[in-house]
Order: sequence, then structure tokens, then C-alpha cells
Amino acid sequence: MTVTVERNARAVGKSNAQKPPRGPRDSYALFLLPGALAFLAVIVLPFVMNTYVSFTDWQGVGSPEWSGLANYRELMDDSEFWASFRHSLFMVVAMAAIPTALGLVLAAALFDYVGKHFGSRTAAVLRACFYLPQVLPIAVAGIVWSWILAPDDGSLNALLKAIGLGSWQQDWLGDPDLALYSVMGVMIWVQLGFPLVIFMAGLQRVDPQLYEAAELDGAGWWRRFWHITLPQIRPEIYVVLTWCSIAALKVFGAVYVLTKGGPGGATDVPSYFSFTTFFEKTQVGYGAAISTVLTVLILALSLIGLRLQERTDP
Amino acid sequence: MLTARRRVVAAAVVLTGSLLVASCGDSDSGSSDGKTLRLWHYEGPTSAMGIAWKEAIKEFETKHPGVKVEFEEKSFDQIQKTAPMVLNSSDAPDLMEYNKGNATAGLLSKQGLLTDLTEEATKRGWDKKLSPSVRTTSLYDTNGVMGSGKWYGVPNYAEYTLVYYNKDLFKKYGVAEPKTFAELTAAMDTFVAKGVTPLANGGAAYPAQQYLYQLALSKADRSWVDAYQLYKGKTDFHDAAWTYGAETFADWVKKGYFSKSSSGQNEEAAGVSFTSGKAPILFSGSWWYGRFKTDNKFDWGTFRWPDSKLTLGSGGNLWVVPKGSKNKDLAYDFIDITMSKKIQNLLGNSGGVPVAADASAITDPQSKTLIDDFNTLSKNDGLAFYPDWPVPGFYDVLVSGTQKLITGSEKPDDYLSDLQEAYDKGAPKQ
Repeated sequence: MTVTVERNARAVGKSNAQKPPRGPRDSYALFLLPGALAFLAVIVLPFVMNTYVSFTDWQGVGSPEWSGLANYRELMDDSEFWASFRHSLFMVVAMAAIPTALGLVLAAALFDYVGKHFGSRTAAVLRACFYLPQVLPIAVAGIVWSWILAPDDGSLNALLKAIGLGSWQQDWLGDPDLALYSVMGVMIWVQLGFPLVIFMAGLQRVDPQLYEAAELDGAGWWRRFWHITLPQIRPEIYVVLTWCSIAALKVFGAVYVLTKGGPGGATDVPSYFSFTTFFEKTQVGYGAAISTVLTVLILALSLIGLRLQERTDP
Repeated sequence: MLTARRRVVAAAVVLTGSLLVASCGDSDSGSSDGKTLRLWHYEGPTSAMGIAWKEAIKEFETKHPGVKVEFEEKSFDQIQKTAPMVLNSSDAPDLMEYNKGNATAGLLSKQGLLTDLTEEATKRGWDKKLSPSVRTTSLYDTNGVMGSGKWYGVPNYAEYTLVYYNKDLFKKYGVAEPKTFAELTAAMDTFVAKGVTPLANGGAAYPAQQYLYQLALSKADRSWVDAYQLYKGKTDFHDAAWTYGAETFADWVKKGYFSKSSSGQNEEAAGVSFTSGKAPILFSGSWWYGRFKTDNKFDWGTFRWPDSKLTLGSGGNLWVVPKGSKNKDLAYDFIDITMSKKIQNLLGNSGGVPVAADASAITDPQSKTLIDDFNTLSKNDGLAFYPDWPVPGFYDVLVSGTQKLITGSEKPDDYLSDLQEAYDKGAPKQ
């Protein structure tokens, strides 16, 4: 080992004598190469292929026929696509906005109140409980929720009946006016743990002296939350919002398991719409156009998120 | 000698190369040694077909010493979603079960992914064993439209829809077995009056659309079916039959024959509400028969949809031989065994509907009724296929539309206009 190091040191010394010294960026770039090439093979290449397919009329087998922008023009006039897109915005509310807001309050409460009064162990257990749905595969969570929300013998309706609220019983996933909100409810449950954990980690690095000083100045919990917690963990908030919004835009599993986009398209989302167009309708070119649009949107959102994050970085 | 930097580059190139090769999916796992038959099917092991095909594998291995059947059980969805890609690669099996119809087997045959079985069908006499209406799904023309052209698949069983009813519940509420359509609606009125929702239904899957199609079929004839399914004429979704189907269906929702909450339920929930004794009537396919025989804890019976010459049904799923099959002769031999009297009789006695069984060999009385009903239907040219067959993706259009009819969020007329639009978009241009 020592010999190798010495030999390398000699080699470096020799090359230094002949050439100007190389900065660390040059030597590290080599290590990035495998990753970059793998990224090219499994991300860029399929994306380029998908974009090419989106300009064709193709059923998935045989030769694709070039159709130019026809798929995109059709997409612009496709009310089903735009409806699925509107549902996506609802999903952003359910999977990003609400979990972030709730996660913030809960994280602050667990860190600031539960942690201090009941011990950090209790806070950790509660945090793990909130995080549990994130660990469950979405297919499992979806099936369990479809049992809970079943119209005739579902446990939610049974519970409502048992506590004398029989008139509140609903066909949670089968009523077109309710189905989207039911799926949103499930997604809030699934998603909540992620922001909570990130925010609690963020709170660890906030200087406790800030809180102590504020407390001495007579600031209440809400003022401390608003003026210290929020500004201090702003980077985490941006990360969570970006990450969750992307997850919301590409949500698929929950819709597939819970409603299959129904009833009557009431819970259809672009990724599920693209999936059925690909595999059920075998309109591969059109399906590719949908996923290309979706990818571009997600990319744009990620870039905006990253820029916002950069701005908040010290 | 390679420098460290070059070594990293070389390793990266090798890694990328292997990733690219892997992503192209060109791995070759098939064998062409004549010693293995790679077989895929998606029948459950306890279903009539599952039992029969298992026996066929045994028989095949006895008749072909030294040949091993490599059977892979797939799900319907797995094969349905990936078939074009799998068949386009060298991973294709030698023989596989595939869904019949224009949008499925027809599409694959049009793209040249399936072997033309015409010569074998004639040589081995499969064409003689299958009745014309069962044979329809075996033949596909150059546009992939079923009913004429070359043989691309062989169905070894058949299926049709019938009314399952709970005799105990009928007795309890003083309802007699309906012989006519009027008696059927009167029976349902009685159940509704006593607070029982008469029909088991699943709006999130095929049951709801099959009720609606059956209602339309009761006002239709063969030329109507041929126009819709085989494009031999124009299909107008605002004609008398479709209008009757959609309006009656919506009316039945209003009358409480279907529960409103059935819009979000799938076929399994529909089946369970019948087997659990909740719903007294289920109109669905013969594929439930075997399961009801074991699951139903009450006295039950079946009858054909009253006052209708036509009902949903066809030959069963197809055996297809992929173009890339490396052991085609073995595949043909296997199909031949599944067509033999021994396997067909076993299928019949296990609760399935065989296509070439020995009538006298079916010993189970319930199975005998099921098979006799099918034979009558088939003889009278009464099989009208399924509503989702004509165009790819029509299944989802029908599911979504009938859900809207159940929830009352769409009028029958708008529903029919939606169907027209999707059908015209997907059907081959006349």
C-alpha cells in the first residue's frame, strides 16, 4: 500500500514537472463518467426514442409511420387528456401542498412540544407511525384502502353506521363527485410521513439559542414557528415541495389500484391515461406524446424547484 | 498498458454497452433442440381449463419421451400487455394462450407475429371439430379482422353468458324461475319491493357492459352483430337496438335493479355478492361455473337470457404459435392433444364448456345442462361475441361510459354518442 502511494506520488510529481497541475475537477470527472454513460443509456436514450415515437402513428408492432405533430395536435383537443391534467393539479394539492403544510405543523409540534414534554423517544415513535405508509408498497396500501372505502361492507361506512352517522355513508370510490377526493385523502395519508421526517431532520440543525432568545422575549409558539422555524427550514420546504409535486404529477399506482381512472374518468391522471393509451388502445405513438409532455412538464417543475432552492441556499 | 484514466473509460464503455444490450431485450433464452416445448397460459390451476391443460401436459410428455414441457403460468394482464413486445423478441414461447378478437389476436396476426395454422388445422382436422361460430375467432384476414382468412389460433373450449340465480332466495321471496323477459322484470320488481337489489353488478369491469350489450342483443339480429363486430355494414349506436339497451339499462338503475354503488365495483365484487347470497341474480359468463360449483353454499341454477336469440359468447381464448417459435411441430402436437376427446371430456366434467367432447362422457348433470345449452346456442348461430372486441381500447370506453350511466352523470343518448365516436375512431375505415 505504502509502495503504491509512493509510486503514485512520484508519478504525480513527475507529471507536475512537465505539465501544469490538474485541478481536482479534472480527476473527479473521470469518476462521473460511468454514471453519465449509464444515465445516457437508461434515461436519455429511452427519452429520445420516446420522443421519436411520439411523432409517429404506431401500434407497438410493425413499423411506425411518421405523422409529424399530429399526436400533439390531437392532444391539444383531447378533453380526456386535459381532464386528467386537471386531476393532476388536485393530486399536487393532495400530495404536495397539504402534506407539506400539515407536515410542517406536525413536525414542529413533535419537535417542539412532544419532544420536550414527553421525551424524544415518544416523538421518534410518533414520527415512525406517520412515516409507516411511505414504507408500505402502494399496491398494498391501495388494496387495504379499497376495502376500507368499499360501498357495502367497507369499514369506513360500517364505522359511520356504528356511531349513528349512517346518513353520511357514501360510495367513496364509485361516486364520480367523490372519487377524486377519496383518492386525494388516501394520498395525503400516504404522503404525510415524508415531509414530516425531512422537516424534523431540518429542525435538528436550527440553533436552539434562537428559540431560547425568542422565548425570553416573550414570543409564543406560533410566533416562534412563523419567524424562526419557517425561515430556518426553507431549503427543506423547497425540496419537499418539488419532490412531492413531481411525485403527484406522475402518480399512477394509487389510481391503478383504487379506481382504474374511474368512475367514468373521474380520477384519470396523465400517467394512467398514457398507460391505457399505450397498452389498452395500443396507440403507442399517442401514448408516447402524452408521456413526452408529462416529462417536459416534470423537468420544468424540477428546474424551477432547483432554482428556488439555490436562491435559498446560504 | 492502460492508464488509470483509460481503465475507467473502458469500464464505463463496457458497462454502458451491456446496459444498452440489456435495454434492447435481445437475450436469447429459447431453445430449438426439439427437446423442450415452452408453453405459456393464464388459466388458474383449479379452473376447468387449468385442470385440462395440466393433464394435457402429462399426456404430451408421455407421448413424446425425452421432451420436456417448460410451462410458465402468466396472468391474463401480463400476456395482454406485453405480447407484442415479447413476440417481437426471441423470448417468445413455442406456444401460448392469447385473447381472441380483432384488437388482440387480430392485431398480432396483421403484424406477422403469429404462425399461419391453416395447413395444420386442415391436416389435423381441427376445422371439422369446431362449429362455425366457435371458429370465427380463429380466422383473421389481412387487416386482422376475424371471421375469414387464415387460421391464426385454435380455441379448445367455449364460453357464453347465462343467468345464474339463487334458488333459495327465489323460494324465500316467492319468486318463480322466469321463463320470459316480462317474468324476469316482474321477478326483479318483487325483489326490489322487498328491499333486495336483484342484480349483482360490477361497473368498474365487464359485468355492467355485458348487461347492456345483452339488452341490445335482445333487439338485434346476426347482420347487426356482423356489422358491429366484423364491420360488414355501418354501426349506428343510435339505432333501435343500442338505444333500447342504453335506455333500459339506465331505467333499471332508476328502478333499483342495480345498486348505484356498483359503479365502482369490479367483476370479483359482482361474483362475491352472488356467492355470498346477497344478490339473487348474476348475469355473466360460463367461466364462473366451476367456481360457483365449489363456492355457492345454496341451491342455484342457470337459464339463458329469456326472449333473446343472441347472447354474448364465443370460442375461448386461443392457442397461438408465435412466428418465432422454435418448436412448431411440438406446439401443433400439443394443440392436437388438447383437442382430443380425453382432454375435452375432462374439461367438460370440470365445469368448462368443451368444443369437441363426447356428449355421453359428460357425467356431471349440472355440467351437462351448461354444455347442452351451449350446443343449442351454437347450433342456432346465437354467439354474438363481446361488446369490447371491435376496436382497441373499447373496453375502457365501455367501462367508463356504463359507470356514468349507473351514477346518472350521463344520459343514454350522450353515452351512445361517446361510443360512436370511439368506435368510428378505432374501426377500420370502410
